[in-house]
This record gives sequence, C-alpha cells and structure tokens, in this order.
Amino acid sequence: MANTGIIVKKEMKSLLHEKTLLLAIIVQLLIASFSSLLVLGLASFFDPSSLDRYDTPKANVGIVGTGELRQFIAKSQVDSHYYKDIPSAISDFDKNKIDAIVVIPKEESGGSEIIKVLVYLPKSDIRGTFVTLALKKPLEEYENYVRDIRGARIGFLPIKLYVDELPKKTSTYFEFIYGILIPLLVFTPVFISGGLIIDMLTEEYERKTIDLLLVSPLSFPEILNGKMITAIIIVPAQAFLWILLVRLNGVVVHNVILILLLSGIIAAMVVLIGAIIAVRYKKRMISQYLYSLILILMFLMGYLFTDSPFNLVTRLSANSMGAEVLVYCGVYAAVTYGLYMAVKKIGIT
Amino acid sequence: MTGILTISKWELRKARTSFGLKTRFLSVIILILIGTASFFAAQSGLHINDNIYKVVVTDDSIARVLESDAKFVVFITNQENAKYLFEKNGFDILINGDKIFYHGNDKSIAALDSLDKTVKRYDETRLLSYNDLNNTFPLWITVKNIAREQAFMSPSINKLPAIEKSLEKKSTTQKESTTVIENPEIEKSQDYTNIPSINDITEIKKVSPIREQSLATPSHLSPPLPFKSVVLSFIFIFPIYFIAQFFSSSIMEERVKRKGELLLVSPVRPYQIVLGKLLPYLLGSMALVAVMTFNMGGSPWIILILLPVSLMFLSTSFLGAIIARSFKELSFVLIFLSVFLSGYIFFPAMFANIHAISIISPITLVVRLLENETVSISDYMFSTAPFYLVSILIFAFGIFIYREEDLFTQKPIREKLLDSIQEFIRKIPVPLFSLSIALLPIVFSIQLMLIVFLFNFPIRTGIFFFIIVAAFIEEVVKSAGIYTVFSRKISDMTTCNAIKFGILSGLGFFAGEKLLLLVVIASIAGSAFGSAMGIGLLVFPLLLHVTSTTIASLGIRYSGCRNYLASIVLASIVHAAYNLYLVRGVVFG
Repeated sequence: MANTGIIVKKEMKSLLHEKTLLLAIIVQLLIASFSSLLVLGLASFFDPSSLDRYDTPKANVGIVGTGELRQFIAKSQVDSHYYKDIPSAISDFDKNKIDAIVVIPKEESGGSEIIKVLVYLPKSDIRGTFVTLALKKPLEEYENYVRDIRGARIGFLPIKLYVDELPKKTSTYFEFIYGILIPLLVFTPVFISGGLIIDMLTEEYERKTIDLLLVSPLSFPEILNGKMITAIIIVPAQAFLWILLVRLNGVVVHNVILILLLSGIIAAMVVLIGAIIAVRYKKRMISQYLYSLILILMFLMGYLFTDSPFNLVTRLSANSMGAEVLVYCGVYAAVTYGLYMAVKKIGIT
Repeated sequence: MTGILTISKWELRKARTSFGLKTRFLSVIILILIGTASFFAAQSGLHINDNIYKVVVTDDSIARVLESDAKFVVFITNQENAKYLFEKNGFDILINGDKIFYHGNDKSIAALDSLDKTVKRYDETRLLSYNDLNNTFPLWITVKNIAREQAFMSPSINKLPAIEKSLEKKSTTQKESTTVIENPEIEKSQDYTNIPSINDITEIKKVSPIREQSLATPSHLSPPLPFKSVVLSFIFIFPIYFIAQFFSSSIMEERVKRKGELLLVSPVRPYQIVLGKLLPYLLGSMALVAVMTFNMGGSPWIILILLPVSLMFLSTSFLGAIIARSFKELSFVLIFLSVFLSGYIFFPAMFANIHAISIISPITLVVRLLENETVSISDYMFSTAPFYLVSILIFAFGIFIYREEDLFTQKPIREKLLDSIQEFIRKIPVPLFSLSIALLPIVFSIQLMLIVFLFNFPIRTGIFFFIIVAAFIEEVVKSAGIYTVFSRKISDMTTCNAIKFGILSGLGFFAGEKLLLLVVIASIAGSAFGSAMGIGLLVFPLLLHVTSTTIASLGIRYSGCRNYLASIVLASIVHAAYNLYLVRGVVFG
C-alpha cells in the first residue's frame, strides 16, 4: 500500500510538473466556450427575445394579397408593408427595405382547399433567419385558426390546456445546458484520463523503464495501481472545477457530490479499460487507436439508453433525481469491480 | 524523390507489422459494435434529456399525451396530493384538470415549453391519422430563396472600417440582384412543399438532433440550420483524425526508442525523411475520404476540399510529435490542437446557410456540396488558403528542427520553437523581413478564428476585444524573430540594431499582409470592399507596423529578454490604440 502511494505521488508530481494538466484544462475550457457559443447562437435563433443583442431592427415584411392571414401578420411583431403585386415588392426587397415577402392566396378558412402561402426569403443571410422566426408565430396562429374551423368538420378536438401567463423563454437553452453541456464537461476528464493511463503505461514499456521499476522493491500490481489511482482521482477534481466554473456563469448544478461520485466510478471504469489495453498491447500507437475506437463506442452507448451515465448526470444536475442515483452507482461500481478483477488477472500473467 | 519513396515504403512496412491480425480482427469487431450502436441511436433517438422533467397530473388522458415524450416523468394522483407534490416535492409542472401550474424557475419554464411542443406534436400525429390534408393541415408554405448582396465582415483589423462601408454599400449598390427583379424564378429556389406521409410525422416525433426540413406547415418552418450535413461532414473528418494520430505516434515512437537516430545519420536529408513519412498517411487519409465520398454519392470536389484539412491535421500532429517530451505531453498537445481545429472548422459550418462568415471554414464548402449547392473557386481559395499555408509553414519549421539535438533531448517546448526560428534566420536571406511574411498565415488564421468568436458577441464588444487580441498576436509574431536574434545572441543588442530590426520586421509584415489581402480577400469580396482599400489605409498601417515593432524591439533592448512580454504588451497597446482610433465610429458609436 505504501509503495502504491509512492507511485501515486511520483505520477502526480510529473503530471503537475509537465504542465500537461494545464493543457487539459485549456482543452476543456475550449470545449466549454465552443459549446456556450453554440448555445448562445442556437438560443438566439429560437428565442427571439435574446435577439436584441444583435442590434437588429424589427423584421420588415412585404405583403401581397388580401387574405385573412393579413390580420394575423399585422397583429404580430413584424412590420407589415403592403404591395399590390410581386415585382414591386421584390424591388423593395432588393433595396433592403423589406426582408421577406409573403404572398397571401385568396382561399378562405371557410373553404376546403389548402391555403398555399408563398414566402420569399433572402438566401444565406442572417436576416432571413430572423424574419423566418418572426413569421413563424403568426403563421402558426393562423393555422390553428383555420384548423379550429375545418377540424370540426371531421370531428377533431385539439387538446386544450390553459395557463395563466405564458413565459417567453424556450426550453432549448435549458435542455442544451443540462442535457449536453454539463455531462460533456463532467465526462471529458474521464475520457482524457483513459488516454492518460495508456500514455503512462506504454511510455514505461517503450522506454523500457518498466524493467528498472520492476527490479526495485515495487511489484507490478503496485505500480499499476499507483498509476491508475492517479488517473482516477484527478477526474472528480477536474469535474468539480468545471461545476464551479459553470456555477460562476450562473448555471446552478444540483447534487454536486453525487455527480462527483458517479464521475469517479465511471473514471475508474474507463481507466481500467485503458489499462487493460495498454498492458496487453504495450505500444502506444495501437493502444491509443483501440482506445479511441472503444471511446466512440462508449460515447454512443452513453446516449443510447435512459439511466446511462450521461443521462444520470443530466438528471442529477437539473435536480430531477437525488440519492436514488446510488442504485445506479452500485450497478456501475459492480461492472468496474469486474474489470478490476480482469486487470489483476492480466497483470499477474 | 527516391529517398522520399524509400522512407514511405519503410513507414508502410512498419505500420503493417504493428497491426497484427488480432488487432485488425478486434477493430473490425468494435467497428461492427459502433455500427450497431449508431443503428439503434438512429432507430430510437438519443436519450439525452430522458426523465428530466417531473410532471404531476390529475387526468390520465393527459398523462397518456405526456408519456409520448420520454422527457417527462408523469405521476397521476388526486387533486390534494398533486398540489402537495407540486409545492413540496420538486415537481416542475402541475396539471390540475386542464389548468397548468408552473414554478417561476428556469427548469419549470423549460418544462412548460417542452410540454407545449409535446402536445402540439401529439395533436399533429392524431391529425395525420385522419388522412384528410385539406382539413387537417390547411396551410402550406412554399419558401423561395432569393440571393441578394450582403455585407461581409473583414478579417483584417486594418480593414475594419470596411465593415461600415460595406454595410452602406449593401443598401445602395445592387448590381447582382437587379436581374432578379424581372425574373425572380431564375434564381434557384428551394421548394419545401411536399406531401407529408405518416412516416414523416412519426419520424419527427422522435427526438433526434438530425431533423430534416421536409414539411412546410407553419410549425415546421424553421431557419435553415444544416445540422444533418454538418454531422455528415463530421464522418469525413473521422479518418483524418485517426490517421493523424497514427502519424504522430509513429514519429514519437521513433524518438522514444531512438530508432530515428539511425535515419538521421543516413544520407537522406531531414526533409526527405519527413515527407517520406508523411506521404503514406496523407495518401491513406485521402483514399479513405475518397471511398466515403464515393459511397455517399458526394461530389468529388469534397476530396479536394478536405485535402488541406487533412494536411492541417497531419502538420499539427507532426509538430506535436516533435516538440512533446513524453507521451502524456503529446496526447495533451494533440487533444488541444484537434479541439481547437475542430472548433475552427465545425463551428462556422453550423451557420452554413445563414451567414457569409461561415465560409471561413472548409467544412462549410463540404456542407454546401452535400446540399447540392455550388462552390466557386474564390470560395475555395478563401477558406482553404490559410490551411495550405499554415500546414506548409508548420512542416517547414518542423523540418528545421528535425535533427538530433532537438529530437533526442529533453528541451522545453519554447526552446525548440526558438531553435526553429533560429534555423530560419540562419538559412533564409533578409531573415526578419521574410519571417514576418512567413508567419503571416498563422496570424491570419488566428484572426479568422477570433472572428468566429466575435460573431456571437454584440458587435461593439466583439470588435473591441478583437482589436486588442489581434494587435497582441501581430506584435508577438513580428517580434518573435527579434527576440530570437537577441536572446540567442545572433547579433549585438544595440539600439541601432533594435531599430533596424524593428523596421525590417514591420515592413515584412506589412508587405505580407497586403499580399495576402490581394490574393485571398480581394478575390472573395472584391466589389463589396475593394474601394475601402484606399491610399490612406495603405500608408498608415505601414507606419503603424514599423513603429509598434520598433517599440517592442527597443523594449527588449533596454529591459532585456526577460521582460519580453512587457515589451510586447506595450507595443500591442500602441497598436490597438491606433486601430481603435480608426474604428472609433463603430466601437464607440
């Protein structure tokens, strides 16, 4: 046990000394900033209230034709401009006076034909995106209006639920933060640690320093355990750092201790897999290659079923579950223990 | 040439022996498992937000609606119990009869929005079962996209005033689109209208990030985010990642086992060794990309677009492999570089159909080709030139230090980088002038990357930070050579030399920048901001580059090499202040 401690100390020192951990943290910072930029970008598309940041003016829409839809658009957030024909609207469109043209057909809600609306939008232009979102709402309202009239003919009753006051926010932002960003931040250190144990072990093999270590009073299992413990314990530490940073950004993460526990168990699992590969193959090139393949597989599996580690972190951080996660932790710990027995067997032979 | 080919042959043989039959067998098994897993993912959707919201209801028919979406955990109980659970037990939503109650927190509001979407989806599925489109989906929208000239954000800070000008231009000169007035139908129009089948709706019911825009009812009218094509292009990048990893492993292994020493004493030159090793990996990755393109029925041009991307990944892994001191360091350097590169190429591609700035990334071009759009030669030039130039540059500098004292010693990374600059200075005529030009593609690429970030911030803040960071990067690059010369004692550290070097380096940077602008930028947005490149903009940047570099150079002369950072910061402040003054109208309103 004391010998294992020596290895842990040595590995920790070399990790901190080489500033490699610093690079790892920068990597995660990059991932975080990419993701949060993505969140910002996506949120601004789906949440028009956040569009103010772009200093964008109100969407200007040209309207041709005099159908019922006209009133719905007039009531909405867009500025309507009326034209008598398409060419005159397009000429204003090209002068950037309007960003979209809606051609309203004559069909009425009381009729039985499909109401075909033609919309002209600017191609590959951010304004096109804004105006699409602005138009979406009145179009949906009009569709519901027509459905209320026509649906009755076939006996369709929509589900009606009522709420006092409808908030303007959408779920996109929340679901991205808790569903994707936080699990990714918690598990990136896990994946890095799996690669780390491979580097630690294969380097000893390829430089042949393992022979030197083995003639010392240290036994192979002690060396292996020491290295694995180092790779595992840095995971909850990094995850904690992340949760702290996310917290500073105003995102509240619940059940931090349970998340750290889960990340530790999964880290042990992934590090053991890495160790098995490294001890079997002894070469970095092949070990890293196989590990990357398995990593892709594990990553995919993480999204494949409810109660996967990703999903558990999502629910824990969003406070959708609490101590009941310990049951799943137990299951994952059992799998990890099985892997540990496998490593022991390989280590001895 | 024969030298290069011999090395290639050796490299191939080495790869073959390390991949035994067992390894190949194992990788096939894992690949099959990955295939199965992705099949299931495609079938049943991704369980990302399963059971995230807790809802308590009093009516079972509503519970059935909510259970159609895996996001909800639904609990049915009587009224009093429901109220208690909602208030005390952390439930996000209470539906009492047909009345919804929610808490004021983010989660509850998100749950409400999700609930709204689920109910809508449920209703639409029911409507489709009637098989009577005229009465169930009465409103159809046909979208026609018309091209019109748009503003393009300038990638060089000296050209930032062009933003204003090009914005103005946007509203006045419309040469291209005048033809559209008479004939709107000539432009390629995207017609989203088609008849939905039951399958379409049920497919949408599954929560999947890849959702095709095929329905044109109002609820399916959304901005054209090309998620599917971006995911597809990610598949193209995969083999490139893997092969770059092999390349770096192979080089690192030779360093660790000291096998490379034998090669270095042989008559083959370092550049032949490096190119010889590179060749099989480059051809291999291109072959894989070609096979995938062919299988997916993509345009063969995709291969040409991914060539510089592959080169970029290979060159950065090469750099990582020769500067790292241990496997751990190599892993971290590579993860860092590949995350950075992936961000650079994928983030802009997300906005491929939305904003012109997305063309910075070659992946955008791939996305466009996958969506059957056209890519012009100037687009290709613009997005790939930085990749070609930077990767060639990295290889060149790597080859400079592909020698015993750098490969087989434990020198710190900074010393190795200085070594490569020193070699450049020794080998190239007018070194400081040429070094500034040679390093320019790196500056250009980093600045493009910065724009990608800037795109998401409010424009004023974005430009402000951009100018400061860009000035700093430019000053670092311009003074790197001077620092090397002084710290390695290649020339005497005198005031006269400091001024001379400052002028040379600044001149070089200016010349390179204008060259790059002419070659790359002028070709993409010639009409939009060609006029902004007035004489004034040509003279002042020259003075600016020379002055700021001379400040840095004199700083090193008087405060010593130790205070290099302080000298650069000072120079950057001067540089940034000038640029901020130039664009004061944009930044300060």
